[in-house]
Amino acid sequence: MEKFPSKIEPIIRLNDVSIGYKKGEPLVQIPNLEIFPGEIVAIAGPSGVGKSTLLKTIAGLIRPISGSIVVCGRSFPNRPNRGELGYVPQSLGLVRHASVLHNVMLGANAGHNFPIPFIGICLPSFVAKKKAIEAINSMGLEEKISEPIRRLSGGQQRRVATARTLAQCPELILADEFLSELDEKTVDMVLKEVTTYVKSSNSALLVVEHDITRAKMMADRLLVIDDGRVNPFITEPTAMEVKI
Amino acid sequence: MISFDLPRKLLGSFFPPLRSWLGICVLIFLSSIIIFDGMINDWGRASQGLGNLVKFFNESLWPPDWSVLEPQAYPVCTVYPTFMDFTCSTAWIGMVETLKIAFVSTVFGAIISIPLSLLASRNLGFRRKIEDSINLLLVASPITFFLSEVLSYLPRFFLAAFRSLPSIIWAIFFVILVGFGPLAGVLAMTVYTVGYLGKLQYEAIEGMTKTPLDACEAMGLTKFEIAFKVVIPECANDLISQAIFMFEYNFRHGTVIGIVGAGGIGYYINLYLKFLQYDKVIAYLIIIFIVVLIIDFISIKARSYFTDEIALNRPSWKSIFIPFSMNKR
Repeated sequence: MEKFPSKIEPIIRLNDVSIGYKKGEPLVQIPNLEIFPGEIVAIAGPSGVGKSTLLKTIAGLIRPISGSIVVCGRSFPNRPNRGELGYVPQSLGLVRHASVLHNVMLGANAGHNFPIPFIGICLPSFVAKKKAIEAINSMGLEEKISEPIRRLSGGQQRRVATARTLAQCPELILADEFLSELDEKTVDMVLKEVTTYVKSSNSALLVVEHDITRAKMMADRLLVIDDGRVNPFITEPTAMEVKI
Repeated sequence: MISFDLPRKLLGSFFPPLRSWLGICVLIFLSSIIIFDGMINDWGRASQGLGNLVKFFNESLWPPDWSVLEPQAYPVCTVYPTFMDFTCSTAWIGMVETLKIAFVSTVFGAIISIPLSLLASRNLGFRRKIEDSINLLLVASPITFFLSEVLSYLPRFFLAAFRSLPSIIWAIFFVILVGFGPLAGVLAMTVYTVGYLGKLQYEAIEGMTKTPLDACEAMGLTKFEIAFKVVIPECANDLISQAIFMFEYNFRHGTVIGIVGAGGIGYYINLYLKFLQYDKVIAYLIIIFIVVLIIDFISIKARSYFTDEIALNRPSWKSIFIPFSMNKR
């Protein structure tokens, strides 16, 4: 059964992809995977199985061993256009000595500000700054806007990384355990903001989540990596039959 | 990937005591003693050294001649109030000139070395960018491959070339080019600063954590944005502390380059060395030592603004200048 009409182009399309760091030893093999606009897909599985490596490969940071990867209409090794892909790494990738605003502005600039050709530097943009401040406020960090990242708690830093991606307004968000270190109340708040964004902007969210209960709660589809292969699980209550 | 334990395992298979790191350290130390012994013919000369030092110290060095802090006879000192007339002394004039040379050359050197070190760092991917651009412009061939290799290594080549000569040799070179005085000093120190500071900077950049670069690369930020908005703020602590260290280094070497006529306090040290007035030389050296100590203390305070650990417990001026035990009391 088709989940989406065939006219809709998937944001991510993987065909016979093997990923890993060594040629002869693939970590994960994915026969076929498509993720469509408006979808929230979670990847779960035991640690060390290759969940984060899969995310990095989709982000274009690691070369796949074999197979074809198309992200936002561009096939690897071509990258998605500027600002189309938002990435929250497991260790967040924040500039620790810079302020919250500076970090969130990186995402906002990627999404709303375009560099001068050949020079590669952006001029200041009011739109980008407005988006950054909105994203910071939505994560409840308005009082920390000028604080350097190194002075924030682990949970606050995680919210800054999420705000950076929301300020970017990307077509695809790749998030690696972006809800860990957060208390239940904050998880609800962050999750609500992210899902609202994904559903309203018709973008997609691919999230690696260690906690399988939370993964089932947030995702439309759950992929479990087990024994080096991606197996689809259909989640409740938004259960839909999907072929992978 | 080479394991950290590989040398230990390899050496241990030949000689069992070398299975431990302690054994390897003892071996390295003993080999250095043997090499040193091979270079020295007459150990008796070393035993005479201390006696010579005591004699030289008593006869020529001590007490220092503090007349170097008195105003020069010509030009006539017109400074008012009179207790400030030490600012007309050779020690003060030379010291201020050395400080100026060190400051200007550190600033110029840092400005030139930052772009070079960004281009030289392998983790930022500028090298791949150069190769891709050349391959786009020209048809891929062994010549274009060679050209891209050469161009991508150019920043490292320049940094290595500037660093290969000590600052005193650069000073001699610039004294020949532009004549005696502080201009030659500034040029010599700037060139050396670019080479030395650039090396420290690209090592700091290559040592930074990769995730901010990955996140920004995935977002699609340009190399320039990543360099100036991610790399420089992230490495700010290292870059500032290296620049302060370089200022200290330039000040100390500024005293040496004066000897070849490139300005600063070294000019006066050289002058009094020629006249064998060692008591005046030791006075200059004590002044240099005090200024180096003051710069070092100031740099502790300046660097504390950029370190994580000290941020919440920043040292006060009192705690820097007064020894810990006295400060506690």
